[in-house]
Amino acid sequence: MTWQAIARKDYAQSRDSKLVRYLLYFFVAVCLLGGYIYPITVEADPTKGEFTGFMTGSITLLLPLLAILLSYNSIVGERESGQLNLLLSLPNKRREVVFGKLVGRGLFLLAGVVVGLVGAGALVVYPFGSITVSSTLSYAGYILLTLAFGGIFYGIGLAVSTFTTSKRLATMTGFGAYFLFVLVWDGVRQGINIGLERLGVINGTPPDWLLFVYGIEPTMLYDRLVAAFFEEDMTGAYLSADASWYLGEWVALALFLTWVVVPLALGYWRFEVTDL
Amino acid sequence: MAAIEVENISKRYGTVTALDRVDFTVEEGEVFGFLGPNGAGKSTMINIFLDFVRPTDGHVRIFGHDCQTEGKQARERMGVLPEGYHVYERLTARQHLEFVMDSKGVAEEPMELLGRVGLRDAADRQAGGFSKGMAQRLVLAMALIGDPDLIVLDEPTTGLDPNGAREMRNIILQEADRGATVFFSSHILEQVEAVCDRVGILHQGELAAIDTIEGLRESVGGGTKLQIQVEGVQNGMLDDIETLEGVEKAWLSQEGTQVEVTCSNDAKLDVVVALNDAGVEVNNFRTEEASLEDMFAEYTGGSR
Repeated sequence: MTWQAIARKDYAQSRDSKLVRYLLYFFVAVCLLGGYIYPITVEADPTKGEFTGFMTGSITLLLPLLAILLSYNSIVGERESGQLNLLLSLPNKRREVVFGKLVGRGLFLLAGVVVGLVGAGALVVYPFGSITVSSTLSYAGYILLTLAFGGIFYGIGLAVSTFTTSKRLATMTGFGAYFLFVLVWDGVRQGINIGLERLGVINGTPPDWLLFVYGIEPTMLYDRLVAAFFEEDMTGAYLSADASWYLGEWVALALFLTWVVVPLALGYWRFEVTDL
Repeated sequence: MAAIEVENISKRYGTVTALDRVDFTVEEGEVFGFLGPNGAGKSTMINIFLDFVRPTDGHVRIFGHDCQTEGKQARERMGVLPEGYHVYERLTARQHLEFVMDSKGVAEEPMELLGRVGLRDAADRQAGGFSKGMAQRLVLAMALIGDPDLIVLDEPTTGLDPNGAREMRNIILQEADRGATVFFSSHILEQVEAVCDRVGILHQGELAAIDTIEGLRESVGGGTKLQIQVEGVQNGMLDDIETLEGVEKAWLSQEGTQVEVTCSNDAKLDVVVALNDAGVEVNNFRTEEASLEDMFAEYTGGSR
């Protein structure tokens, strides 16, 4: 019974945060803008799945930020200030606290992704496209995958929130993770490539095992899954026919699901066993 | 069934021992004062009741529910004013109470509760603007929701003015009259003295004593101090008085116009009679009970 009360409270609190609200509006606006522009820029039938690939850049930039913003402070903030002492002196299990917060805050993620992408999808097919059952199902799958992608970063933020004991450290770690995965991962890869080349370990293109290591990162996994399952664009170093099997979409899907589960589970476990 | 059973609780942080094999029971309906200087481990114990902190050894049961494995059931029967809490800035006083009712699955009249703690006028103000004392009253009101069988208050008068502290005492007594068990910690002696049936004294993580106030007084020695205004007393007489049964010590003060005697309660009259028999004129006398303060200093080695 009690997780609903926590969910309602956290929903109200997140709604009152201007930063969350503006980022949410911005995300939805970017999705709609994408849906509006895309059919104008292509000559072929816009209903084909390429729109999903068109959106990947914007989504991987904004959605992780929104997700981390919602979660990184969810536990540590209340813990540092002492609100958690009130919350847990009531008949709430820690599991219910984590779950209630996930629901209350995750709603914003859900609303943003669903409203943004459904709206964008409508703009793509109207007025020149056509809707079929299979394209609708495929697009629903794409929305689900994107939600899960947001969930990965919510989980990372939650883990940050339960492993740190100060808000300052949580902010640094949470946005550090965003910075590393979303903004500078490409640069890091290139840096490593150049370094290894200088050392003579690799020659020209990085070997598959190194690509695999690079590709474990969640935004690259998302990019690959969107390309393989929705865009049906089987090219590039990871998806082309002559790449190693472990660079392909099915291994990527397994890794992606691992990312969905592990940070969330780890974050919850830490909260469960720790002294406040 | 006992309200609280603490069984051999120890809590160590690395090499620091916060609680050392603490063992006691609080019966249903008791008002139990948990007394000790700051840093003695009182809050650690309460945090173990709430499962904020997991003990290194031992168990605590609240109405038979283990606080670690059945914490939710234990807390369902508790109302708590924890230490180091912070209210939600953006929620009003009324919303705080509604949140607790929601969590406990009960429905009560928020205004009535707020009236009891003197916050009626602030019902619809956001708690972010509350003073420490108002926040304390608000959390007390939250603790009273659902008529809990056990009320746990960690340093309840922190931040309250003397008036607020008196109201807090009244509420504790009202709750006890209703039949609730009250467990509260304090480092302020008068509060414990005024309301508690029984007291446990915690010192450096160990339970130094546990008894009723009277029992503790007795054990401190004598228990009563007599001050007798006299005329014509001689020093030798005091030695005679000290030989009386139940008398601990007698001495002169106020430049020979007052005899002070520490003795058991029963020996008081014997002392006065003995002085009178010795030809001393007794003008007036009064008794003073050994204060909890003396007792507290005695148990904690005066190291407050």
